[in-house]
Amino acid sequence: MRTRLLTVVGVAVVIAAVAVFARLARTDVAGQSPAPAPQAGPASLPAEAATAAEAGETPWGDPDLQGLWSYDLEVPLQRPARYGNREFFTDEERAALDKERAEILGESDRRYSPGTEQDVGGAYNAAIFTTHKPVGRRTSLIVDPPDGKIPPLTPEAQKKRAEIRAFQVALLQATDVCKNNLPGCSGGKYGPPSPRRAEAPPHYLTVAAAGGPGGGGGIINRSDNPEDRNLGERCMAAVLPDFGGNTGFFLQIIQSPGAVSIFYDTGQGQGWQRVIPVTANPHLPSHVRQWWGNSRGRWDGKTLVVDVTNFSPKTYFQGSYENLHLVERWTRLDTNTIEYAVTIEDPTTWTRPWTVKQEYNKQNDYANRHYKEPRCHEGNYGMVGLLAGARAEERAFADGRGPDPATKCTAGCGGFAAGFGDSGEDSNPLTR
Amino acid sequence: MRIRLNGSMISVAIAAAVVGAAISASVTQSAGQASRPGQVAGRPNLSGIWQANNEAHWDVQAHAARAGAVTQPGVYPLEYARVAAAPVVALGAAGGVPASLGVVEGDGEIPYTPEALAIKKENAEHWIDRDPELKCYLPGIPRAMYMPYPFEITQSTNKIHMAYAFATTARTIHLDQVDPPPTDTWMGHSVGRWEGDTLVVDVTSFNDKTWFDRAGNFHSDGLHLVERFTLATPDVIQYEVTIEDPKVFARSWRMAMPLYRRMEPNMQLLEYRCTEFAEEFLYGHVRKEQLVKRWEGETMIVDITRKVPPGDKFYEWFRK
Repeated sequence: MRTRLLTVVGVAVVIAAVAVFARLARTDVAGQSPAPAPQAGPASLPAEAATAAEAGETPWGDPDLQGLWSYDLEVPLQRPARYGNREFFTDEERAALDKERAEILGESDRRYSPGTEQDVGGAYNAAIFTTHKPVGRRTSLIVDPPDGKIPPLTPEAQKKRAEIRAFQVALLQATDVCKNNLPGCSGGKYGPPSPRRAEAPPHYLTVAAAGGPGGGGGIINRSDNPEDRNLGERCMAAVLPDFGGNTGFFLQIIQSPGAVSIFYDTGQGQGWQRVIPVTANPHLPSHVRQWWGNSRGRWDGKTLVVDVTNFSPKTYFQGSYENLHLVERWTRLDTNTIEYAVTIEDPTTWTRPWTVKQEYNKQNDYANRHYKEPRCHEGNYGMVGLLAGARAEERAFADGRGPDPATKCTAGCGGFAAGFGDSGEDSNPLTR
Repeated sequence: MRIRLNGSMISVAIAAAVVGAAISASVTQSAGQASRPGQVAGRPNLSGIWQANNEAHWDVQAHAARAGAVTQPGVYPLEYARVAAAPVVALGAAGGVPASLGVVEGDGEIPYTPEALAIKKENAEHWIDRDPELKCYLPGIPRAMYMPYPFEITQSTNKIHMAYAFATTARTIHLDQVDPPPTDTWMGHSVGRWEGDTLVVDVTSFNDKTWFDRAGNFHSDGLHLVERFTLATPDVIQYEVTIEDPKVFARSWRMAMPLYRRMEPNMQLLEYRCTEFAEEFLYGHVRKEQLVKRWEGETMIVDITRKVPPGDKFYEWFRK
């Protein structure tokens, strides 16, 4: 604490001395909690570096993307059909949506039938993962195609998705989800435990969160192995491209001549980082595959263009796996804004490429509101507990002390959508 | 003290001689990775991909070679005649520990308090149960600096990013003033400054969960480091770290070693996302059907016991 006090005093002195830099240092974003002091960074630089920073360049003459950036708006990935080809909301529409969302989320006593698996499943999630982020300007993150929708899946991708869905439904068919014909059972019907419960999944299961009916990534109602659980529960949810999810995210960008490093503080201690080489060197050999692919950067005027290939078959993004190809464009629009645009391509998955655009806001460096320590795995008592619990249920069933585990739903049961209902007027007005 | 200092100076001198040609040719180029300026905003440019090339990740202290990372009594009742224990016996000669002069300055010994020394010895005996590296936990500093994986430095003016291949972890060295972290951390809170051409980094806010090596050397949450990075040649960083932790060590002590630039053409940091690789180790016992079984017939049977001994001092200390 002593150190902290001295630090604050030190910064106060710096502020007094460098009032001239006030414009540069004013990087707070309205609505963020006030920071104890503005950025001290530029003040401690040599004079020529400060001049370069003012011009939006690093001291070595590259466009300057550096700093702590956040994305904290609610924008649906795909545009609801009622908005057609319109890219932006009016201010009135945003205000109305914020109000409606707040009213739904404010109904804290809204519950599924007490005692049902949907109700129990929501006990924790409905409170913790509720999102109160304000609605953004855009009607969808997708800006191309013009209707704001992910392009149709190729027949090959549809087949793969259907195979995963059939397996999901088979594992749910003896549960109340199918007995009561809930949305989670969509495409299936109630019946005795499926012999498929003993099978390996038809494709590597990857989805980071509950996909819902037709979600496609493959959350399954089984806990035989850690591999049955989704990547979020395995502490491996981080994916590129990352659009912030329910919680939004922070990025820290640090540059050097020839390299741009980005740390993604994202998703419940599942952050990750990449160092993008600015180089004309070729990508990795095609048989060397990585979870986050292989990034190659170049400067195109003020824009950092990054080509990403070599994704792993375990990588999952909206139905695409190892053939995912990204072209990212990072542009500093002004002191407080980076525009991120990514063109997403995989001819084996989609009938055409599509593009997503986001704007990131500069955060105060001093406040250091960044958590560069992803320790989900270090504290993953949940996985052992979940698997041990499944083994205990199997023993109880074998001893005649409990129900057949195949009749219970632990995943894909529905009943949770970031605080909103699955359907109807309680559902998220941005995605219904 | 003198012996170790001389050792590092000699290795630096040798490295300097080896790359002398490169220095005289140009300080702004180095083979392998893309060319880079020798300086960033007037400071030596430490950017690039680096790796220690020593045995410190096995044991930072001076040690003779041993049969395995874990051993058990052999046919002789002698310490120097132990054999590899079950968990590593299947690896044969690849499971042994190479000898090293160590990286601890002075007599090569870490000045543990007597109580802490007893914990260190227990740690070594229970390496498999206790080493956070085996679980793919965040490695901490200084361990991440000399693990057998490359790491990359991205040096800017007010921040320096260090990205480690192991567990794809990272730290930021803040050269400007920032709020400290709200809680203890695995990787520490790093605040740097330049002293001439040397980057000096003060690291605090540690938890008590990381180790120094695979030999059970450990610290408490009172750990405080002062690291010094000096570019000895364009392709060698002389790395020195002073370690202070009054709960565990009788006095502060130092480690020193060169870090070498990875010179391969198109060298890049690749993922070692070991969370996935540690799942069998961590969760294999709660699978519905075990994957790793006793082998039969001509096939080797490897029994591994990962039981925490009752009344284990480390675990009691750890839980405090």
